[in-house]
Formats: sequence, structure tokens, C-alpha cells
Amino acid sequence: MIYLEEALRVLFANKVRSLLTMTGLIIGVGAVIAIQVLGSSMAGAVNGALGDMADNSFIVAPNGVQGNFRRAAIKLTDITAIEQDVPNIEQGIPLGGQNFLVQNGHHQARYFLTPDSSQPFNDSPLLYGRRFTSNDIADATNVAVISYRSYQKLFPHGGDPTGRSIYAGIHRYVVVGVLAAPKRGFINAQFGGDITIPYTTYVNQYVHDGVAGAARFIVADASRMNLTEIAVMKQLKALHGDQKGLQYQTFDKSQLTKGINGIFGVMTIVVALIGAVSLVVAGIGVMNIMLVSVTERTREIGVRKAIGARRGQILAQFFIEALLLCGFGCGIGLAIGLSIGWIVNQFAIVKVTGYVAPLPWVESLLIAGAFTIVVTLAFGTYPAYRAARLDPIEALRYE
Amino acid sequence: MNNQTPLAIDVRNVTKTYAMGSLEVQALSGVTFTIAKGEYVAVMGPSGSGKSTLMNVLGCLDRATAGSYLLDGVDVSELDDNRLAEIRLRKLGFVFQGFNLLARTDALKNVALPLFYAGVPGRERTAAAQRQLAEVGLGDRARHKPNELSGGQQQRVAIARALVNDPAVLLADEPTGNLDSKTSEEIMALFATLNARGRTIILVSHDEGVANHAQRIIRLRDGLVVSDGPPAGR
Ligand SMILES: Nc1ncnc2c1ncn2[C@@H]1O[C@H](COP(=O)(O)OP(=O)(O)OP(=O)(O)O)[C@@H](O)[C@H]1O
Ligand SMILES: [Mg+2]
Repeated sequence: MIYLEEALRVLFANKVRSLLTMTGLIIGVGAVIAIQVLGSSMAGAVNGALGDMADNSFIVAPNGVQGNFRRAAIKLTDITAIEQDVPNIEQGIPLGGQNFLVQNGHHQARYFLTPDSSQPFNDSPLLYGRRFTSNDIADATNVAVISYRSYQKLFPHGGDPTGRSIYAGIHRYVVVGVLAAPKRGFINAQFGGDITIPYTTYVNQYVHDGVAGAARFIVADASRMNLTEIAVMKQLKALHGDQKGLQYQTFDKSQLTKGINGIFGVMTIVVALIGAVSLVVAGIGVMNIMLVSVTERTREIGVRKAIGARRGQILAQFFIEALLLCGFGCGIGLAIGLSIGWIVNQFAIVKVTGYVAPLPWVESLLIAGAFTIVVTLAFGTYPAYRAARLDPIEALRYE
Repeated sequence: MNNQTPLAIDVRNVTKTYAMGSLEVQALSGVTFTIAKGEYVAVMGPSGSGKSTLMNVLGCLDRATAGSYLLDGVDVSELDDNRLAEIRLRKLGFVFQGFNLLARTDALKNVALPLFYAGVPGRERTAAAQRQLAEVGLGDRARHKPNELSGGQQQRVAIARALVNDPAVLLADEPTGNLDSKTSEEIMALFATLNARGRTIILVSHDEGVANHAQRIIRLRDGLVVSDGPPAGR
């Protein structure tokens, strides 16, 4: 392909100029792809972490900032009433946490004891034993499921700890299960406590004033979660005397996912804006240098036309030159963007979240390809067209 | 006689007017002549008489303002730009005073360029260009760039390029204008050889000595043909 060969020769004959022209594209494409790589690995990390969260339950809690915060606190009787009166509710579980020095012989550490049901909030897999059974809940047994972190601390010699006892305050709990290490890092830890006990046990032992504060409700039909949440909040207000000021809020997995996806949506828009701006700036640079190139080579164009080159052939020559310029620029940008993304991914995101996201090769290639094509078409066409339109005689006379 | 030998060129009443603002400059004011295949014609005349303008029209680089022009039997006065390019590519070879070679391109590729525009595949292109270079006596300079060649050699490359598509007519506007007299003689000898092999040649020159190589001289003055016949010496 002679056009390509000639275009390459022109680009390499003007190395500095070509490189300067490409800078805009290199920076633009590099930035967009780097941000894209980071965005996708962060999204992967967060969504991966959320993956273990139960999607058939929601949490309801009083709004933290309100005058009647005390009045709004959810009572055990509220939970029972809602279980009975609000449709689609399967089970209501009080939330809470008690800080204790937990001991296994002389191995000890401070942990929160948290209540949970047989359908746990954190669905991550087990290393040993089992979850709570419905009997554990019904009979309020003294059993515990412990996190991998606390297992390592309390049972430093390893081995299956199920059946052994740990002590917290005046109570003794038999370990029935150990959660596997969270495979995706820190985010999981927030959804599951280190030492969980059946919520009925928790209520019996620690909730003496009948106030739970917040609660988690398991629903029968997850598709009607939103309506159920509204109904629960309405019922809570009614139960608390329908005070105008009372406010509650709910959290569920789809809300969190939506929120996170919203953040990435904003990021996508920002990336798109950066992309668009750098595209235009880089494009103007390409157009400028191509117009210079056409003007410098007016005589050459005249010669080619005098020899018998058709318009389309001149157009193709300059178009391919622009394409090559843009292609090189975007290619270098792609390499730099992927490298930056990969480095930050390896040394920051993986370290912090433990989540290894694959590099978005295909998307990055598509972005670089799209940049090349769009910039070439939008900014390479006019100079090529100008070259093709030149009058052979005038071009030959050009000094 | 016109009926016996096929005509390469047939121009009738060709005029060319340049508009210079409100002023009109008539570079050609009605030129009529025919050139048969195989003829060797020199166009002469004082500066500004319209020689280059005529050559540009004959070379299909420019359109006449009025009049008809048949090249190799084809009426080219009404063709669009792309058709004209096609005619230049296949039927005409143009040699310029300033050689007009592509600077960063070696002799072989310069010669091969018209073949590329004609869509000839790469290998054939190189072979034909090499053959054509040998024919103008530069077979051993194929890989030289224009700045590595003398003026006379550059003009030979340009002639090879003009001939590589085997055109019906070879046009040359002062081809020896930039060359010293010895090199001019070599180029004129090359033209004579080409004509002897049957090539139709039209060349513009100021120099009677150069023009006398031709079989026929058309003299222009103020855009009109003032004489048309064999050189005085013959
Ligand atoms: N592009 C143009 N615009 C306006 N006038 C032009 C143009 N080209 C040529 N002319 C005029 O047309 C006339 C003929 O010019 P032309 O170049 O054909 O002369 P010439 O015979 O080739 O002269 P020379 O021997 O100096 O090359 C001149 O008067 C010139 O000024
Ligand atoms: Mg002239």
C-alpha cells in the first residue's frame, strides 16, 4: 500500500512535528483510558463486595439528625407489630452490637457481638460448621458464628473450632460456624459482625429496655421491596404516635448498588467530557498540521495531479496520513493509559480492596479506535478535501 | 493527408481568457491546428505569447475558454476533472522545465507513480519503471533520490515518468530551460530517439537550435498562430 508507505515516510520525516501534534491525542486518550480502567476495577471491587450481601432484606433505622431521635428509636414491640401487620414481611430482626472482651482461654480480643438470624445479612461462605438454624433462633441458644478474623485471633493454632466455647462477659457461646476469609477485602467486613449470635439470644441477654434502635426485615418477595419499605416506615410513624418530625430511612442492596452505580455514572460523564474536550483540542491540532502539510506540499500535489492522480487518490493520500497520525497518537495514548491504569490498579486498588479486576482491554481498544476514527473523520477530512480540490496549474505554479 | 495518418491532436478556434479582476487577458485568441501521430512539433514565440497556456490546454491541465479540442479522437473540452485526470494519466505525458520530481522519493518510485495511479500492481509497476529508466539511460540510478542526480539526469527521470504509461502524446514545456547546452543536447538527442520510435512529441522552446530538432515549428504571437511549417534550415 503506497499511501501508507508515503504517509509513514512523511510522518517520520517530520518526527518532532508529528509527535507534538499527537501530544493532545496521547494525553486525551491516555487520561480517558486510565480513568476508565480505574473506574471499571473500582466498580468491580465494590460490586464484588456487595455480591455477598443478602438481597431479600432491608434495614430500617431512625434518621440520625432529628429532634425526636429518642422517640423514633425502634422498639421490639414495633418489630413484632410490623411482622404481623405489614404484608410481605417474613421476619424482623433487631440490630445492635455489644462490645466485649471475647476470650478463648488466654486468647482474647475486643469484638462486637451482633445479632443475626438463620438468614444472615452477610451471605459469605463458611470455612467450618454451619449457620444458625431456625431452632437456634426459636430456642435462643447460646451459639456463635465467628468471622475469619476473630477465628485467627481466638484460635491461633487453627483447626476446626466448632463445638468449642468462647466467653463474652458473663455468657458462654458454643462456636457453630466460621466464616471464610472475605475474598474481596475490607468492604465485606462492614456487613457482617465478628461474633454473631442468634438475635433471640441477643434480645434475651442484652435488650432489657425493649429498644432495638434499628431493625432488619426479611421480605418474601424481593421485587416488592420498595413498597414494603415505605409501608414499614409509615407503620413505624403510626406506632410512634404519628409525630410529624419522625423520620426513618432504609437501606437495601439494590439501593447501595444504585448509589454506587450512580457514582460511576457521574464518573463516566466526567470521562466523556474530558474525552470530548481533548478530542476537539487534539483534532484542531491534527487539522492545523494537516493544513500546513497540504500547503507545504502544494507543488507536490500539483505534480501528482498533472501526472494523472484523480481527486479521490489525493484525498486518500492525505486522509491516510491523518489517520496514521491519529492512529499513532491514540495507540501511544492507549498504551500509556493502560499502563497507568494497571499500575494504580496493582498498587492501590488491589492492595486496598483485595479485588483483582481484569484490564478492560476490549473497551479500551474500542475507545482508542473510536477516537482515531472520529478525530480523523472530523478533522482530517477537510485538509484532505482541500488537497484534492487543488487546481493542478495553480498548484504547480505555487512557490 | 489528415485522412491518411490518424490525428493525435486537433484544436479548432481555441481561446483562453484569464479574468484579472475587471481586466480580461486573452492568452490564446483562436488557435487552430492539427498534429498527426508520430509528428515532432516545436512551439515557439516571444515571452507571453501563450505557449505555456497552449501546452496546459493540450496537456488537459487547463480548459480552453472556447473552441474544440480532440485528443487521440476524443473530445476533451467538455470532460469533468476526474475524466481529465484519466486522460492525463493514460494519454499524455508531461515534462516540465523544473523537472517536478517528488523530492524524497527515489527515481524508480517517481517513474512508477503514474502506474500506481493507473492501478497497476506493485511488482509489474517496479518492472515497468525499471525498464523505462533503462530506456532513458538511467538503469543504474534507480535508487537515487532527485537530489543525488544531476539536472540532466533528473530530466531523464521526468521523461521516463512521462512515458511509463505509454501516452499518445509527450508534451514538454521548455524541457531544457534549466539545463546547460551540453546536457540540453543530450536531452534533445533523447527526444529525437523517442520520436524515431514513433512517439508524438510537442515541445516549447525559446531556443531556435533546440526547436530545429523538430520536424515542424508552430510560432505564436499574442495568442495567435503566426506561422506553421518545417524549420527554416530544412
Ligand atoms: N494564471 C494567469 N492569470 C492571468 N494571466 C495569465 C495567467 N497565466 C498566463 N497569463 C497571461 O497569459 C499570457 C500568456 O502567458 P504564457 O505563460 O502562456 O506565456 P508564454 O508564452 O509561456 O511565456 P514564456 O515564454 O515567458 O513562458 C501572458 O500575457 C500572461 O500574463
Ligand atoms: Mg511559458
